[in-house]
Amino acid sequence: MYAYNEFDQTLIDQRVEQYRDQTRRYLAGEIPEEEFRVLRLMNGLYIQRLAPMLRVAIPYGLMKSDQLRMLAQISRTYDKGYGHFTTRQNMQFNWPTLESVPDILADLAKVQMHAIQTSGACIRNTTTDPFAGVSADEIEDTRPWCELIRQWSTLHPEFAYLPRKFKIAVSGSSSDRAASQVHDIGLHLYRNEVGDMGFEVLVGGGLGRTPVIGKTLRKFLEPQELLTYLDAVLRVYNLNGRRDNKYKARIKILVNALGVDAFGAMVEAEWQLIKGQELRLPEAEIERVKGFFKAPDYLSAMHASRDLNDTFAEHPQFAAWYKQNTRDHKQAGYRIIIVALKNQLQAPGDVNHQQMDGIAALADEFSFSELRSTHDQNLVLADVAQRDLFALWLKLQDLGLARANVGTLTDMINCPGLDFCSLANAETLILSRQVNETFDDMDYLYDLGEIQLKISGCINACGHHHVGHIGILGVEKGGKQVYQFTLGGSASNDASLGKTLGRSIEQDQVVVVIGQILDVYVEQRQTDETFLQVIRRVGFAPFKERVYGTHQRSAA
Amino acid sequence: MALIKDQQLSCSHAATPEMRFTDWVSGGSDAGDAVLANGADDLPSLLAQAGKLSMIAIEFDTFADGRGFSMARMLRRQGYAGEIRAVGDVAMDRIDFMQRVGFNAFELRDDQDALQALQKIGEVSVHFQPSADGKGPAYMV
Repeated sequence: MYAYNEFDQTLIDQRVEQYRDQTRRYLAGEIPEEEFRVLRLMNGLYIQRLAPMLRVAIPYGLMKSDQLRMLAQISRTYDKGYGHFTTRQNMQFNWPTLESVPDILADLAKVQMHAIQTSGACIRNTTTDPFAGVSADEIEDTRPWCELIRQWSTLHPEFAYLPRKFKIAVSGSSSDRAASQVHDIGLHLYRNEVGDMGFEVLVGGGLGRTPVIGKTLRKFLEPQELLTYLDAVLRVYNLNGRRDNKYKARIKILVNALGVDAFGAMVEAEWQLIKGQELRLPEAEIERVKGFFKAPDYLSAMHASRDLNDTFAEHPQFAAWYKQNTRDHKQAGYRIIIVALKNQLQAPGDVNHQQMDGIAALADEFSFSELRSTHDQNLVLADVAQRDLFALWLKLQDLGLARANVGTLTDMINCPGLDFCSLANAETLILSRQVNETFDDMDYLYDLGEIQLKISGCINACGHHHVGHIGILGVEKGGKQVYQFTLGGSASNDASLGKTLGRSIEQDQVVVVIGQILDVYVEQRQTDETFLQVIRRVGFAPFKERVYGTHQRSAA
Repeated sequence: MALIKDQQLSCSHAATPEMRFTDWVSGGSDAGDAVLANGADDLPSLLAQAGKLSMIAIEFDTFADGRGFSMARMLRRQGYAGEIRAVGDVAMDRIDFMQRVGFNAFELRDDQDALQALQKIGEVSVHFQPSADGKGPAYMV
């Protein structure tokens, strides 16, 4: 993966000292509250309900084992011994003190990490496919391009005070695992008809209050012009995005107001002025960055492979884990391993410090000392030889991280909700606990197949409920926490926004309703039909009837 | 109000113009004038007429309004060589970025310590982007 040179290191070291001075001046009363709020947010520091929360950047989800060890150490030293992986592939600490943040940042800088632009109205951490560079269905590795975007967007002097936050996702394979259609900019790396590599550029996707699927802004962008084009889009947005109402300030509102063609014409006019100039990427620079993402020293297929059939027969749980939690690798003899952070005892995406140290050791032993965080709040060991899988599985069991539920109902996305977040209207962690308690029969979960359950504790939609097959949104009504269900959303290639099922459900009825929805699916499905396919085929009527039917009759 | 200009505390300098760009346009657009503009002004018109202006003061109604950063960048990009002065809600935590996009003068907010502010220019000394001061990542040279 990318390693800092002296230049990168100087930048983050100086940024730590800059933030240290800002904290000092704030505590001395020299920076007004509202101004410091913006400065600390640009450095990932929120003030939450119970304590500050620090969000650490994990650029496009890629980490070295020593970086994860540092996160473990920080959680022990400055926090309560655990951290939380977010849908932007970052890590959040829920209990640091405001005063200690400069020291945390200095520790992070020792392992080439930081919290730059993990919040605020600026360009956020670029996200990508957690299987970039290794998946069997990949067209082109997105990581070098993410790194180039990271560099361009880091401390960009012109785009630090945008109308609102700005999120970029990059996908480079036939299946979109980066939710690129619900980002401010989605980039699809692909080969066109004549075999040239380039980007399709989507703009104006997003969730939150006004969920929108991104629209194609440019069919094919020559890769050398990636940064000139992004610069043009950002400049048009910075100058024209609404600043009078923060709920109308995202680029999707501008694109919808102007229409994508008129917006595109503005971008094109600006781009013509800067295209081919100083931000055009020289071939040598692209090659230099690509050099950081070369394939590791894989064993030959013969040495890496092992026939696992006997082990499967002897250990059915291992067989189940292999089926659910591993994926095809482009290198013969290797598998991609998903370490599910979705067990019964911890909140989705949470890891404690022993687990972080443990996973770091496993990355050293089995996966070239690298790991990735995923959009759906899991971790990935990307390069594990088949011969090591059983040993790895045993060690994951010791860490409590071998639950074979990836892609099932309990592999849910969950924002922290009212337990931590000051924006939240409702608790969400109680729901993930209830779901885990109620749906603990693995055979039942396997029979249901792929179901994405996504839960948000408020309209800001950090839990991406709009694009969950089953989405749940917590709202407050008359002092009570109730939950709105949406069905039929997806963030994959067939991206769609879920539609509301009906009126809100009380907290103690949520798992009951989930059970009813699943029952209807099982009754309605035809051979091999997935949950999403059934919803798209039969529509909402049978689901509504089951969930509300009796109530509606009694109310009538 | 303290003014930093060309990376120094300035004692003698032109006053910040009171004439708004829109009034200047409707009032005859005399060459050599200095005007006050902000993010709400007609930017294409400002860019077209900039060559006639000796100074463009860009006003920040609130520090969070980032439009002025792009305005300065675009003025410098087309070769505007006069003074671009940041006025309004201007504080030390933004003047480094402001300088990099092309501002060369800063009329600081009343609560700002000008000497301290001066230290903030170049606080982060390396950059990933090309900027008005000609500094940028090695590969762009």
